[in-house]
Amino acid sequence: MRERLDNEKSGNESFVKRVFKEYYSKWYGEPPKNYNMREYAFIISRKGDMIRHKAFESWDEVREFLRKNVPLHGFYSSAYYLQPSAPDMDAKGWIGADLIFDIDVDHIHTPCKDVHDKWVCLDCGVVDKGMPPEVCHRCSSKRIEAKTWFCEKCLDVAREETIKLVEDYLIQDFGFSPKEVSIVFSGRRGFHVHVESDIVKGLDQRARREIVDYVKGVGLTLTSKKRKVLLPPLNAGGWHGRIAKGVYELLNSCQVDDLIRLLGLKRGPQIEENVREIIKRLEEGKRCSTLSGMASKIWLKAVEKAIAYKRCEVDERVTTDIKRLIRLPGTLHGGTGLIVMRIGLKDVETFDPYTHAVAFKRDYVKVRVLNMPKITFLGQEWGPYDNEVVEVPLGLAVYLICSDNAIVIDEVL
Amino acid sequence: MVFSKLDAAIYPFINLASQIVKELEENLGINVILSPGSEVLKRSIERIKEAIYSRVTSVYRADLDVEILSHPVAMLLLKSIKDTRLLHIYAEAEKNRVFLNLLSEDYEKLLALAIDGFNWHVIRENYTFFIRFDDYLKASINIIDSHWKLVNRKLVNGYVELSRRDFSRLMAEAYKTRVLEKASQEEVIQIPEHIKGIVEELNKEVQGVLPKVDVRITHISGEFNPLAFPPCILRLLEDADKGKNLPHMARFTLATFLISIGKRPEELLDIFRKMPDYDERKTLYHLRHVAGEIGSRTKYIPPSCATLRTFNLCSPDDDLCSKVKHPLIYYSKKLRTIKRG
Repeated sequence: MRERLDNEKSGNESFVKRVFKEYYSKWYGEPPKNYNMREYAFIISRKGDMIRHKAFESWDEVREFLRKNVPLHGFYSSAYYLQPSAPDMDAKGWIGADLIFDIDVDHIHTPCKDVHDKWVCLDCGVVDKGMPPEVCHRCSSKRIEAKTWFCEKCLDVAREETIKLVEDYLIQDFGFSPKEVSIVFSGRRGFHVHVESDIVKGLDQRARREIVDYVKGVGLTLTSKKRKVLLPPLNAGGWHGRIAKGVYELLNSCQVDDLIRLLGLKRGPQIEENVREIIKRLEEGKRCSTLSGMASKIWLKAVEKAIAYKRCEVDERVTTDIKRLIRLPGTLHGGTGLIVMRIGLKDVETFDPYTHAVAFKRDYVKVRVLNMPKITFLGQEWGPYDNEVVEVPLGLAVYLICSDNAIVIDEVL
Repeated sequence: MVFSKLDAAIYPFINLASQIVKELEENLGINVILSPGSEVLKRSIERIKEAIYSRVTSVYRADLDVEILSHPVAMLLLKSIKDTRLLHIYAEAEKNRVFLNLLSEDYEKLLALAIDGFNWHVIRENYTFFIRFDDYLKASINIIDSHWKLVNRKLVNGYVELSRRDFSRLMAEAYKTRVLEKASQEEVIQIPEHIKGIVEELNKEVQGVLPKVDVRITHISGEFNPLAFPPCILRLLEDADKGKNLPHMARFTLATFLISIGKRPEELLDIFRKMPDYDERKTLYHLRHVAGEIGSRTKYIPPSCATLRTFNLCSPDDDLCSKVKHPLIYYSKKLRTIKRG
C-alpha cells in the first residue's frame, strides 16, 4: 500500500513539474529593485537541496533559468551585494538590505485552527487538532507533520495584521511613502511586506531589532524613571498615544461587568469610579499625569489589552536578518501551487488567494482527494472530501497535490 | 550658520575642525606638531589624563590651534597604547565635554551643529527637535536606558521627537561613536621615536590608575555562583527544572551563559534532562557545539539583553538590569557586589 502511494506521489511530482513548466513558459515576472545585485536560490525538486548563490546579469536570464529548471520554490535575497554569486557569505560584499516583515498565520493563534488544522506525530502516530506543537505531547518527538489550511478567518487575521503594519506603522509612524512599501502574498498562509528605501538600506541588525520591537510593542515602559505609573495624553503620538487611545476606546466601549471579566479584576465598588477617573484624566490630556492605587491597577490591565490589540504580529527573525532569502514575487509556491503575488495596499482587503493567486484557472482534472475541509476556490465551494475521486479545477488540483492532499488520477491537459 | 574657531575647538566633529587640523598640519608639518616638548603634545597628554581622572575633558581656550590639534594627536597616542578600556574612557570623557557644552547652546546652533557634524535629517519646531528615525537609531543604539528605546519615543511620519536636552545627548553620543570608530580604523601610523617613550610612560600610569578587575566577558570563567545569576537565567533554570519545553533561543541562552562562566558541556546535561524531547547524544552535541569544541569552533556567548527582550526571554528586572546590557556583565557586576559583602 505504502509503495503504491509512493508511486502515485511520484506521478504527482511529474504532474506538478509539467503544469509549473507551462506557467514559467509564459513568465515575465517583475524584477525587484537592483535585481542584479541580489542572490537567488531555488529548490528544484522535492528531494533536492536548495541551489544557492545564483546571480543574474539580466532579467531575461532569470526567465530563462525558470523556464529551463522549473523550480518548485524561488527566492531572492533581501540584501544587495557587490558579488551576489560568491559562495562565501563574507566574500559577497554586503551593501545593504531591504526591510522585510513576515506575517504568517502559522505563528498566530487563530481559533479556527482547532477546526481545520491537524497534526500527526510521525513517531508515535498520535493525531490532534489545532496548532501543531513544537514537540509531540505524548512521545516528545519533534517529527511532527502538520496539515494546515488557510480559511477565510485566517485570511482575515493575516490581512488585518498586514494593513495595520503598513498603514499604522510603516506609513503613519515610520513615514515611508506607499511607493516604497510593497505587499506580497506569501503563496501559503500570509503576507510579506518589503520596504525598499535608502533610509533603511544601511541599517544593521540592532537597528532593525529596534524597528521590530517597535511594531511588536516590545520593551514599552509604562512608568516614569521613579517607577510612577504614567498616563500619557490621547494625542501623545507613537506608542504612548496608541496606548492612551486603545485604553480610552476599551473603557468607553465596555460595560463595567464586561470590563471586570475582560481584565480579570476583582469586583469592587470603586471600580466604576476609578474607570471614570481614568477616562476623565485621558480627556484632560495632561502631559505628565500619574496614577496610583486601584486606578493604576485597572489602567495597567487595560494597557496590556490595548497593547495586545494594537501590536503587530510579525516574525522578528525575518526582519532582523540582513541576509534573508525571501520568496521571489511572481514565482509559484511549491507547497500550494499558488502565485507569490504582489498586491496593492488598497487591494489587500479584497484579496482572495484562492481566486487572485491561482495560476491555473482553466481546465479540470480528476484527482483522488485524501482529505480536504470545505473550501471556496475560484468563487465556488468544494468539499469536504475524504478519500474520494472528484473532478476539480486544475488550480485546486495543483493546490491539493502540492500540499499532499490529493493524488492525480487522470489529466485533462 | 558660520562657526567660529572656538566652535571647532569645542566640537571636533564639525567640518571646520577637520579643516583647521588639515591646514595646521600642512603649515606646521607633522614633525613640528609632534616635536618633543611641543604645546600640542603636552595638551594631548593632558587631555587623556583629564579623561582618566575627571571623566570629562576641558576646553583649553588660551590657544585654540593647540586645542584643535590636541584631539587628533590624543587619538594617535591612544591608538599606540591600544588599550580598549582607556579608549572608551577617553571617548566617554569627550562625549561628556561635548554634552555639557551643548547644554548652553541655543536652538539654532544645536541644529546647525547636528547637520554640519553628522548630516542628520532634523527639523526644529519651537522648542522641540525632530530627527529622522534612521539617524536616531544609529546614534541611540548604544544607550542602555529603556527611555531611549524607539518604542518609547514619539515617532510620527518618520521623525522622532526630542527635547533639547535629549537632542544634545544624542549628538554627544554620536560623537562618542565616531571617536570609537575612528580609533578602530586600521591605518599605518608612523610615530617618532620620542613619542614611543611618552606612550610607554602614559601606559604605565594608566595601568596603575584603571581598576584591576576586568569586566570583559572572557574573563568571567572560573567562578560559579548562582546567587549572582541575572533574573532571566534564574527563570530559565526554573522552567527547565519544571520540565517545561523551552524554545530554541531559551536553550541557547542557558547553555551559552553557563558555558561562558566556566561550566563544561557534560555538566549541563542534567539541566536539560527534564525537557520533554531530551536526547542525551543530541543535547551533548549541541552543547559541545556552542562551547566551540566541535563544528565551527566558535565559542558562543549568550544573547544581549536587547535580543532577550525581543525574544520575550527577559524577566521582570531588578535595578542592576537597568545598568547593564548583557547577562554576563550583570553576572560579573553582581559577583563583585556579593564579594564586597
